[in-house]
Amino acid sequence: MVTEFFDAINVWLIWILPFAGAAIIPAIAKGSKSARNYIAVGFALASAASAATLIPTALAGHEVHSQVSWISALDLKAGVLADPLAIIMTNLVAWISFLIMVYSLGYMHGDRDLTRYWFFMLFFIGSMQLIVISDNLLMVFFGWEGVGLASYALIGFWYHDRKKDYVGVEGHRAGGIAMWTAPTHAGMKAFLMTKAGDVMMLAGMFLIFAYAGTFGFKELLADQGWAQAMAAENLLVPAAVLLFGGAVGKSAQFPLNEWLLEAMTGPTSVSALIHAATMVKAGVFLVARIGPLFFALSALNTGQFFEVVAWTGAITAFLLATQALVSPEIKKVLAYSTGSQIGYMMMALGIAGISLNYVDGYTAGFFHLMSHAMFKASLFMGAGAVLHTVHSRFMTDMGGLKKYMPKTYMFMLLAALSLAGAPLFTSGFWSKDAIFAAVLESGYSQAMPLFIMAVVVAVMTAFYTFRMIGMTFFGGKSKHVEKIEHEGHHVHEVGAVMWVPFGILAVATIIVGVSGFLFEEQLHHLFEEYLGESFGIHEAAPATERVFLNLNPVAAAASFGAFGVGAALGYVFYIARKADPAAIGRNIVTRGIWTFLYNRWYLNTALYWGGVIGPMAIYRFIWRYFESTIIDGINPAFQGAMTYMSRWVKGSQTGITQTYLFVFGAGILIVVMLLLL
Amino acid sequence: MAESFFLLAATFIPLLLAPVAYFVGKKSGAGTVTWFSFGVLAVSTGLLALPALALQGGMSAYVESYQWSQFGNFGLRLDGLSLPFAMIIYILCTVLAIYSKPYMIHKIMEDMPGASRHENPGHGGQVTLTADQQSYVNHHMGLYFALYLAFSMGMFGTVLATNVIEFYVFFELMLVPSFFLVAFYGYGARRRIALMFFFWTHVGAVVLLLSLLTMGFFAGGFDFDTIRANAHLIPQEWLALIIFGLVAGLGVKLAAFLLHIWLPYAHAEAPTPVSALLSPAMIGIGAYGLLRLWLELLTGSYEQYSLYINMWGLATIIYGGAMALMQDDIKKVLAYSSISQMGYILFGLGSESVLGITGATMLYVTHGLGKAVLFMMAGSIILQTGTRSMSKLGGLAGKMPYTAVIAMIGALTIMGVPPTSGFMAEWTMFNGVLQTAANDGDWFRSAMFGFGIMGTILTSAYILWMIKRIFFGKIPEEMAHVKEASPYVTATMAAFAALSLIIGVYPDLFLAPVSDYVQGMFADYPGVLPIPEGSGLIEPAEGSSVGLEEGLSVGAEAGGNH
Repeated sequence: MVTEFFDAINVWLIWILPFAGAAIIPAIAKGSKSARNYIAVGFALASAASAATLIPTALAGHEVHSQVSWISALDLKAGVLADPLAIIMTNLVAWISFLIMVYSLGYMHGDRDLTRYWFFMLFFIGSMQLIVISDNLLMVFFGWEGVGLASYALIGFWYHDRKKDYVGVEGHRAGGIAMWTAPTHAGMKAFLMTKAGDVMMLAGMFLIFAYAGTFGFKELLADQGWAQAMAAENLLVPAAVLLFGGAVGKSAQFPLNEWLLEAMTGPTSVSALIHAATMVKAGVFLVARIGPLFFALSALNTGQFFEVVAWTGAITAFLLATQALVSPEIKKVLAYSTGSQIGYMMMALGIAGISLNYVDGYTAGFFHLMSHAMFKASLFMGAGAVLHTVHSRFMTDMGGLKKYMPKTYMFMLLAALSLAGAPLFTSGFWSKDAIFAAVLESGYSQAMPLFIMAVVVAVMTAFYTFRMIGMTFFGGKSKHVEKIEHEGHHVHEVGAVMWVPFGILAVATIIVGVSGFLFEEQLHHLFEEYLGESFGIHEAAPATERVFLNLNPVAAAASFGAFGVGAALGYVFYIARKADPAAIGRNIVTRGIWTFLYNRWYLNTALYWGGVIGPMAIYRFIWRYFESTIIDGINPAFQGAMTYMSRWVKGSQTGITQTYLFVFGAGILIVVMLLLL
Repeated sequence: MAESFFLLAATFIPLLLAPVAYFVGKKSGAGTVTWFSFGVLAVSTGLLALPALALQGGMSAYVESYQWSQFGNFGLRLDGLSLPFAMIIYILCTVLAIYSKPYMIHKIMEDMPGASRHENPGHGGQVTLTADQQSYVNHHMGLYFALYLAFSMGMFGTVLATNVIEFYVFFELMLVPSFFLVAFYGYGARRRIALMFFFWTHVGAVVLLLSLLTMGFFAGGFDFDTIRANAHLIPQEWLALIIFGLVAGLGVKLAAFLLHIWLPYAHAEAPTPVSALLSPAMIGIGAYGLLRLWLELLTGSYEQYSLYINMWGLATIIYGGAMALMQDDIKKVLAYSSISQMGYILFGLGSESVLGITGATMLYVTHGLGKAVLFMMAGSIILQTGTRSMSKLGGLAGKMPYTAVIAMIGALTIMGVPPTSGFMAEWTMFNGVLQTAANDGDWFRSAMFGFGIMGTILTSAYILWMIKRIFFGKIPEEMAHVKEASPYVTATMAAFAALSLIIGVYPDLFLAPVSDYVQGMFADYPGVLPIPEGSGLIEPAEGSSVGLEEGLSVGAEAGGNH
């Protein structure tokens, strides 16, 4: 049923409100600065409240679909679609964004350009909500580019490119490429790299439009003639993979992962927003949005699409987890970890499509998205609190902060335990375990390699999480901390406006963790109904035998083991400090591995040589030897030719009468002879 | 005979009042002549808007036709094709007239014989002048606006013409005033550059004329209608030659790859308000010519050559973009960017699909707005800082916030990012190209699509890099006291930026008449793919709960959803 605009006004307002707020912020800023700040946060709250009105609809398994006419020339409508998937996501986005906005009141306090900050934060939230709540791909793309634009503006927020706003270690080069980056450079890099993904997504959309004549999710599902026509031409899977290309760019999956690390040049609140609620989650959401559609078409062999998704996720999870092991910057550890965890989500959403029980993998992936959103937002805001206090992004400049910042320590520890997957009481454990189980039970022929990768990543995750906590909060005070104390700065806890938001999220992740299996079951039930009713996807086989708390024994053992090994190693090196990590540098093999990881597998180097320096050299060559020489040479060449010809003609104009007479006479003679002949 | 004279008046009022503008400027000064010219153009735009509204209301074409000479009738025709062109040309001309005031006063005073160079740019008009200097400025402002009005009228007439000879006359009429504008008020070696500009575009025009005459002779008349009706009378071997002449002649105007020799100089060295007309409004008329004179009049030959146009467009996109990356001068970046954008239009024109050709037309609209904003930004920078070399600029976002924000909207328009009009144009255009490729199963066209859409990354790169070098980073010391430009500059820029956003969100204003018209143009040619049609939502039958399951083959249970 398509409802009228005003009957579904609460759905429309979810994305309209943040944009409206962004539009009036500059005007309000002219009047009162503090009113501006509170009104910005107020609009985020209003949008969240609007999203909350939909929760009963989701719990009842209903949906709201509303359309208005838009581009009549192409018979396209604008619309919002609040089905259970969108409702859960929109609430997650709205409430986490709201908490981050509150946190911003403290974190960004005193910045000169707050009007711009609030404008783009609201724009960011509005764009993300547009992605979540739209009922067609074209509007999703509006939001898609909106988050790209907002991230460009916010990553490069400190556009004066001062040294303290850089990211990376100054002087660090890999293969001739500087690995430290200015904010505006980082913003541009993010925009262009995600643009590469966007281009693929557009191509996928265009292919579908050329066959279906519509972008609407509902319309695409209602009449599947387009899919049959495309499958007949072998275009269906390519179109799906191209759409996924957009998700690869936005969610920083391999091979478009490099922008995410430089994106750390933005204010930490922005990083929290990008990593927890918006931007990178957009890609996962897109896969969750189109996944069921393509699974419903699995009679047309769409399995390959899901394989691509699963493997992309697994590779990214592994790649970025290894890099997180060696990063000295606290925000970058978290950034690597985001990419890696999103890899998990992609893996789950991918494996869902290959397995018989689509709902299991789907639930696992989405559950991990939710739990990651909570703990990662909390971790970023906590890291921001630390940065705010010690004025350095390097963990080597921290250390021993536990007793100075007890609240930050406590909440970050809780969130970190969730990221590391501490068994039974953290949401991260349950969601990761669900992914392991989904992979194991998928029946996919390559499930084992995927599973092993997933477990190895879990070990690394636990290790780098403990490393981060250890380096930041344990051990003695670093020289830097001593120095700033000496200079008269007092290292102290941050204000309530900052710690309350990340405290709430840290506690939430534990609450979800303690009730983990119940929560998962509820989610599973909700998605089972949703997928069944909207897409006709049902459990094809009864779930495998489960034991205690509905756990898969192998998966659970792996979760426990991975956490144990990773956490123990991290504890020994960085918290108890029984062993010295500097030992790595003394062995040639470990040092080689360390360098390889520290230089980010040389992917950034390859990107710059192949994508920037190489093409620029070619362009410069063309510029110099074609445009400037040949094309610009045409005019002078014409001119030269004319001058030459005129000189040649001029040579006959001697001005000597005898010559003229002689030529005249010769001419007459020739004419006469011609006549005689 | 026509019963109303809206278009006739809209076309000739600016021309007739051009000499008046000169005397107004000379007698009453810069301010008066600015508002006089603005008024003249605003009235003309209003006269255009009346029939344009009728078109929005569903009328297919509005034509005024007059007896002329043995060449046929002199007509002015507003339809789905000429509407976006005519509208954008007059909107640009009208608003840019206001922008011209501070800029041209500054420019004329800079060139004044015996004038000392400005110590403090950015205060054009605020300096006290002697009587002689005042009359010098007034004289030149009058002359500038007289030429400006004539130039506007030339462009406008070209897109409304209904007769090939009439088309050619207007086509040349717009060239003459623009030549003088560059020669009198340009930068650098302006006379030389004006001559080069004139020479190349005139040669192009003459080649075009040969084709037009040949068409007319074979078809037995020079009116568009006659030629379209009798296109089959043109022998095949001549047809190829005619098309070659059309494409080459208009290609010069478009500054397509290899014929772009004149453009970087003319656009960079013209006075900025004129650059903002040359680039967005004038060169795109080449695309209009191709649409009208080739695609519409000789529709039968279109499919045969479309692929070459497509390829040429791709080459132009990449080449223009690559060369734009090499520039340090803001206006040169924008000049090469215009070349690249004309490549997009050609790319769409060669798409063999209604969607693609519609998109190409929309690109004219969007490029007009976006590039005008960017050229105006360049002008604003020149006015306020006295330089246009990006290596000397930086960090100006804090000093010139309005210029920076509006320029960013212009940049997004050129990059094709929603919600600007650029996206609406680009997606329809690229979708058309891919539609043909997919429909024909043609790997070559698919590859071209791939490269073309990757070209948008190149476009984004040079635009963002330009913005970064002007507005971000450290502020050079000598720029520490730069101020925001006057409202004459920022408000006019904002007008275009706003229009771009409006069209981006509500594209029907232009998209609907254009797509209808293009659809009609190719109604008899199934090879040119129509706009894909959706089957739409299957509305649930009375009593049943959800409509979606009906289309599903997998077991669906009705009920319980609502």
